[in-house]
Amino acid sequence: MFGFRLAKRDQALPGGQVLAFGIGLIVALAFGAVLLVVAGHSPVEIYLKMADAAFGSPQAWSTTLTQAVPLGLAGLAVAVAGSMGLWNIGAEGQIIAGAIAGSWVARLGPDLPGPMLITLMLIGAAIGGGILALGPAIARAHLGVNEIITTLMLNEIALRTVRYLVNGPWKDPTSIGFPVAPELPEQAALPTLFERADISVLIAAAVLIVFGFYAARSKWGFELRIAGSSEKAAEYVGISLKRKILTVLVLSGAIAGLVGGLRLGATDRIVEGVAEGWGFAGIIVAALALMRPSGVAAVAIAFGALRVGGVAIKGQGVPASIAEIIQALVLLGALGAAVFTTYRIVGPKSYSGGDATSRDTSEVTS
Amino acid sequence: MTAVELDGIWKRFPGVIANAGASLTVAPGSVHAVLGENGAGKTTLMNVLAGVYRPDEGTVRLDGVEQSFSKPADAIAAGVGMVYQEFRLIPTFTVTENVALGSAPAVLSKSSMEKQVGELAERFGLHTEPGREVWQLSMGERQRVEILKALWRNAQVLILDEPTAVLTPNEAAELGRITATMAAEGRSIIFISHKLDEVKTFCDEATVLRGGKTVASSLSVDDLDAGRMAELMVGEATAVSQRRVRTTVVGERVLDVDNIIVHDIHGRAVVNDVSLVVGRGEIVGIAGVAGNGQRPLADAIAGLRQASTGTVSVTHTDITGMDARTRNSHGLAYVPEDRIGVGLAPRMNAIDNAIMRNYRTLGDGPLIDFGQAESRAASLIERYNIKVGRVDQPLAGLSGGNLQRLLVGRELDDEPVVLIAAQPTRGLDVQGVKAIQDILVEQASDGVGILLISEDLEELFALSDRLLVMHEGAVVGEFDPDTATRQEVGAAMAGAHASEGSAH
Repeated sequence: MFGFRLAKRDQALPGGQVLAFGIGLIVALAFGAVLLVVAGHSPVEIYLKMADAAFGSPQAWSTTLTQAVPLGLAGLAVAVAGSMGLWNIGAEGQIIAGAIAGSWVARLGPDLPGPMLITLMLIGAAIGGGILALGPAIARAHLGVNEIITTLMLNEIALRTVRYLVNGPWKDPTSIGFPVAPELPEQAALPTLFERADISVLIAAAVLIVFGFYAARSKWGFELRIAGSSEKAAEYVGISLKRKILTVLVLSGAIAGLVGGLRLGATDRIVEGVAEGWGFAGIIVAALALMRPSGVAAVAIAFGALRVGGVAIKGQGVPASIAEIIQALVLLGALGAAVFTTYRIVGPKSYSGGDATSRDTSEVTS
Repeated sequence: MTAVELDGIWKRFPGVIANAGASLTVAPGSVHAVLGENGAGKTTLMNVLAGVYRPDEGTVRLDGVEQSFSKPADAIAAGVGMVYQEFRLIPTFTVTENVALGSAPAVLSKSSMEKQVGELAERFGLHTEPGREVWQLSMGERQRVEILKALWRNAQVLILDEPTAVLTPNEAAELGRITATMAAEGRSIIFISHKLDEVKTFCDEATVLRGGKTVASSLSVDDLDAGRMAELMVGEATAVSQRRVRTTVVGERVLDVDNIIVHDIHGRAVVNDVSLVVGRGEIVGIAGVAGNGQRPLADAIAGLRQASTGTVSVTHTDITGMDARTRNSHGLAYVPEDRIGVGLAPRMNAIDNAIMRNYRTLGDGPLIDFGQAESRAASLIERYNIKVGRVDQPLAGLSGGNLQRLLVGRELDDEPVVLIAAQPTRGLDVQGVKAIQDILVEQASDGVGILLISEDLEELFALSDRLLVMHEGAVVGEFDPDTATRQEVGAAMAGAHASEGSAH
């Protein structure tokens, strides 16, 4: 339109992501401020309240981090696959599968001591998530079936399965009609870390740090990045794409499954809505982290803070819709700004129409 | 009266002059061949006619009326249709839907449209089933859909860009009948080709381009033979090329390729029983028009593509059963034709690309020692004079010459015994070409056996110790660059069977 178009930058803007996110945030907050003024609120006051609710006290931090745990792990799950160019849209279903497997472990060994039971439940959850991702992984690796479709559709399967379980075989007989499973054994609850945060914060931090480091520094992570940059280059240096796709998608599913295991601690029992959309939120987190596992933690904390802040201002008389619009604006601003770290706007006049330039970009993107 | 008249067409791109006053005249009702080497400006000229490019200078006339196309739709409206090498069809649409897409009547009736498309196809002898989805069709059938698309839009001038490259011989013969039918109706067909035999069979006249200029226009194909065609396409051997002075004695065989056959997904033998050897310190050139099996041959030797039969050995070790990585560790280095996307990963930085071959040896255990990686990259950058802005930025911004020096340098970093270099200087500027050629010569002097695949005859004559010519997947001739003429080699490239070189 009007002859303006986006052209890929020759080099990504150095340090551009942080700058871009900053600018995106400011623009979004400015738009939000207009909305708040129109609704009769003082934007400064409201924004300070949001910040205070998210970071103002140890209790605020504990709430923010509790939100950041599923966001970060689900984001990691998506980013691990994304760093080799695969889209795991099924984190939501894998979270459910993880929760199912974790509950199943708890049903099998209700009398195990707490640390052991928790460990087994989490391992079971990871395996559960991995198993749900196995089908799409095999189909993608060996038959080239698009993993976006298969992982997305398995979300439904997982949801129907948990619905069946809590309405049928696993239904709590004492629940007077509510479709919930019985509460998990008491010793299966995750120990508290501080205020409202439990040790899932530590578990998630450990997983994120190990993976962030491993993906960036290991031979395995290097191969992942080659495959993500160009499949043909990966084949050229002798990386088995099939095996890589298989392991990465299953690993991605396992990380998402772990979220399901950790969520059991928050819900005390498995319910239909155990995944609560964390799997889909993980896609946003991963996209904001530019599919880099090492960037997921920071994004997850920021996103968690935004959610906590958004909930807090609803209590201040700000209409829920405006609180949600502000959250969406910030995400949109950050995602939109990220585009400009790798693209620039070209005016109509500098368009040469030459195929030499367009060939360059097509080579780069292919 | 002329159907098409392109006159004095100039088209410049940054750093390249694609057309330098090219002209073309096509009579109505004729099949007109446009010949030329890669880079001669054929495709650019056709894109000017098809409205894809606006010429910097020059005029386009159809039936004597000057045209000014600003977009392909203008050319289509004026009756010019183009069938590209890569088809532009929607696989999940039917033949009819693809044909009518974008120029269907406002009210659609599926059955009547299919009937119309069927009638149109029948009129020109284009065998097709209007109701079938395109993904089910063979390449030949897809091409017929493309031609139907142009006819549906009432193209009076149809451009076919290397139409037989994707066809089996039978399909090619059928295409010849189709173009004859169209010509008999008074339409003009422009047939871009490299292959003499099909030009002689299918076409009435030929125009030859070289270096963006028209060197021969509207020759009768009856006056064209392999020698004349090659001479026109590659030019007279004007400047004596700088022959490499060989400093080493060719030693033991370092690369042995025996009876390699490679099939494509349609079961065609794209490499047809090729055998060759490369000795220590020897540069063996492979000449050939693009698409005659050079790429699959190189890929099969490097282990990127499965050969159906045949063996490959490096210094007498049979590497046929090995994957690309193991072949590389046996001393086989490969500079692939696609330097970006195969040889180099564009979204990764210079350090990552410098260690792509040997990252497994950098650091014990699962972690990469990035300190060591950085020093590897730094030494490559220094040794091969690679200009990178920042080593930690994606490669995408580097010039072709720098990218190629990085790639070639990396491949030579582990001191291979054999180097396969596919089109190593294509698209580079003069200094870039010289830098790469110097590296190749230096490596040969150090004893590396080099298989040099190139479309640049000048380069092959200058660097090779022996010169093989590939045509339709087979090695059809072997020449001594000191004694052979470019015409002889050019004739073999064009598929003249009575080549003066001894068949290999």
